[in-house]
Amino acid sequence: MDILYLLIPLSVVLVFFILAALWWAIYRGQFDDVEREGERIFEHD
Amino acid sequence: MQGAGVISPLRPAADRPGREPSVPPHGDATWRLLDERDEWLEFSRPAGAQGSLWESSVVFEGMHCAACAVTIEQALRATPGVREADISAASHRGRVVWEEGVTRPSDWMQAVLRTGYRPLPAHDAFASERRQAETRRMLWRLGVAGVCMMQVMMYATPTYLATPGEIEPDLINLLRWAQWVLSIPVVLFSCQPFFRNALLDLKLRRVSMDLPVALGMLITFVVSSLGTFEPDGLFGREVYFDSLTMFVFFLLTGRWLELRLRDRTAGALEALMHRLPDSVLRRTGAGDWERVSVRRVRVADVLQVLPGEVFPADGTVLRGRTSADEALLTGESTPLSRGEGEQVIAGSHNLTAPVEMRVEQVGQDTRYAQIVALMAQASTSKPQIALLADRLAKPFLVFVLLAAGLACAWWWSSDPGHALMIAVAILVVTCPCALSLATPAAMLASAGALARQGVLVRRLTALETLSTVDTVVFDKTGTLTRDAFVLEQVRLRDGVDRAQALALAAALGQGSLHPVSRALAQAAQDEGVDAVSVADLQEVMGQGVAARRDGAGALHGPLRLGSAAFCGVRAMDGGGPVSHLSDAAGWVASFELREDLRPDARAAVQALHAAGVRTRLLSGDRPEAVRRVGQLAGIDDVQGACLPDDKLARMRQAQAEGATVAMVGDGLNDGPVLAGADVSFAFGRAVPLARAQADFVVLGERLALIPGAFVQARRTMRVVRQNLGWAVAYNVVGVPLAMAGWMSPWAAGLGMACSSLLVVVNALRLASARPAPDQVH
Repeated sequence: MDILYLLIPLSVVLVFFILAALWWAIYRGQFDDVEREGERIFEHD
Repeated sequence: MQGAGVISPLRPAADRPGREPSVPPHGDATWRLLDERDEWLEFSRPAGAQGSLWESSVVFEGMHCAACAVTIEQALRATPGVREADISAASHRGRVVWEEGVTRPSDWMQAVLRTGYRPLPAHDAFASERRQAETRRMLWRLGVAGVCMMQVMMYATPTYLATPGEIEPDLINLLRWAQWVLSIPVVLFSCQPFFRNALLDLKLRRVSMDLPVALGMLITFVVSSLGTFEPDGLFGREVYFDSLTMFVFFLLTGRWLELRLRDRTAGALEALMHRLPDSVLRRTGAGDWERVSVRRVRVADVLQVLPGEVFPADGTVLRGRTSADEALLTGESTPLSRGEGEQVIAGSHNLTAPVEMRVEQVGQDTRYAQIVALMAQASTSKPQIALLADRLAKPFLVFVLLAAGLACAWWWSSDPGHALMIAVAILVVTCPCALSLATPAAMLASAGALARQGVLVRRLTALETLSTVDTVVFDKTGTLTRDAFVLEQVRLRDGVDRAQALALAAALGQGSLHPVSRALAQAAQDEGVDAVSVADLQEVMGQGVAARRDGAGALHGPLRLGSAAFCGVRAMDGGGPVSHLSDAAGWVASFELREDLRPDARAAVQALHAAGVRTRLLSGDRPEAVRRVGQLAGIDDVQGACLPDDKLARMRQAQAEGATVAMVGDGLNDGPVLAGADVSFAFGRAVPLARAQADFVVLGERLALIPGAFVQARRTMRVVRQNLGWAVAYNVVGVPLAMAGWMSPWAAGLGMACSSLLVVVNALRLASARPAPDQVH
């Protein structure tokens, strides 16, 4: 069970990586217009 | 060229205001106003480093699907000088990158016009950018809280599941440390808005719902941190990081939904602001009139302001006499007479006659300031029911703070840590937000839904009144019938020919926005008849136009165009409305016009009857014509030959008998009536005046929207009552439970967030409005 002493701190670090990815997605505008992508199929070219 | 002082009837026909006040037809000079740098800077900004590329933000009307977006993009890209065109089908907005010197805004806008869509400058581009930034930051706060909450929950689960002693104490400590580390971004970043608002409240010595919430967060975090690092301290070894992160997450979810809702509504309301620049007629050095954008008006300019237009600047009347509506500026509701040498104020409406004025003071962005004032007025008038909720919310919050303090003191002796958590539970479980959100959330959702259908809500309070309306009064012309007439027949005095009569009628009618005048002016133009010059043009609301033509002989001197009584001639029968022309010698000509009932009028009236609403028709037109229209539309009670005063008197009488009256009118003759009704709709292509006075503005031509608005208002009030009922019941149950210590902070957080969410989600049901009955499009 000693491995937990490594894994738990690692999971904390992992959360920070996930947050960084979320930050990137939000500020790149991935969630600004969630309807447009679904409508793309109606476009011709 | 016109002599100075003579009201020019020779404005180009396309320039004539009327059909849609802010909407000139294709090819109009108004589009070219956009080519002035001052104008396009309002909705454009530099793109790229060269300095000649500009990115403009545009809204498109008439778009309904993604294919439309493609068509517009293609049309734009085909225009020389347009570098990029990017249009969102969802938001009906787009950005256009174009090169200065190669193309002009009016060029590519007209390219879009030719495809059948209407581009309008998006003056709110910067506002919506700000909103987007706000939404992103909120989403980011919510994301941080959400991710951290999930992971903190993971670390907390083992301590809930394991039997004591099963996990090594070191490992438990490590798990607590991990929880503490992940709680820090939540407290420092995600909770910021709550702390900031709470601090502001403290500074301003007031109480709002953020204060107890922030207090609860702070206490929970401090107690839990002490439990982690000083397990043997005063507050024991319990930690509540999971509760903390969870209720922050729930609270933020509620706020985020609220923000989304508000943005959607704000977006719909701001659509009002997408307009071509306001313009006004200015005298050039040569004595001609040119249409210039209001922004270019300078002190000492001489302007001609037509009835229905807004005075763009403060100044003195040089010529003509009119009445001005200064209600917006001074609160004076009766129109004031303004003649030569008298002052007019920027932002007031010119009601009756064209006047010339000399500009003395130029307000910066007058029109804009006025719209802002209107919007502010709309949002500051709170519905009765919301006022009640607000009055209750404040003492309630004070009570909550006191209750939390008392409960904490009561439990302190047995276990300080537990006592604090009970206080936190009380602070958190109470949900004044549900109480104060209940009404505005529902009303804003409804206003947004109505706006998407084409009904703009100018005063939220009006929704409350509308739900209780039991009588609808219609105006006829322009409301039940199309506002455009067609000239059917002309009867003439011996010795007068049709062209002469039309030339006089067009001269008198040119400056007026009344549909009959417009029809006559249109007929003259269609037949290639030039209007003659007349002076002292004066419109008498609801009756006619008078003027004087210089010169001797017949068809000169004082002239009148309008109703039989106004012209002093014998009334005559006819199928449609009749307008008479008279000179000093009496009757000259009668113009018979034809009007058409709107195709969806009957269905709309039936829908109102089905909703239990009585309908009435009050019109200034001849009784026979009014009866005919009333019968066709199926209206309960029809009254013709009403002067504006009669209309108001009849409506007052109905109100005195206990009826709540909604008035639907196009607003030229019924300004005072609209203002006197409990709720008013400005319908059709009403003049700006009506738009300024009515509670609801119906855009487009569909009468069916009016019963739709009734249904929506009633649904809104139902939802408001549900929301308020829920908020009260929840607090009545929740607070005693928490005081008794039967509710842990996380359950309290969940309860509060669910309560707020329930209220918001319930309100959101209104946003997905059922489309109004749409028999005829």
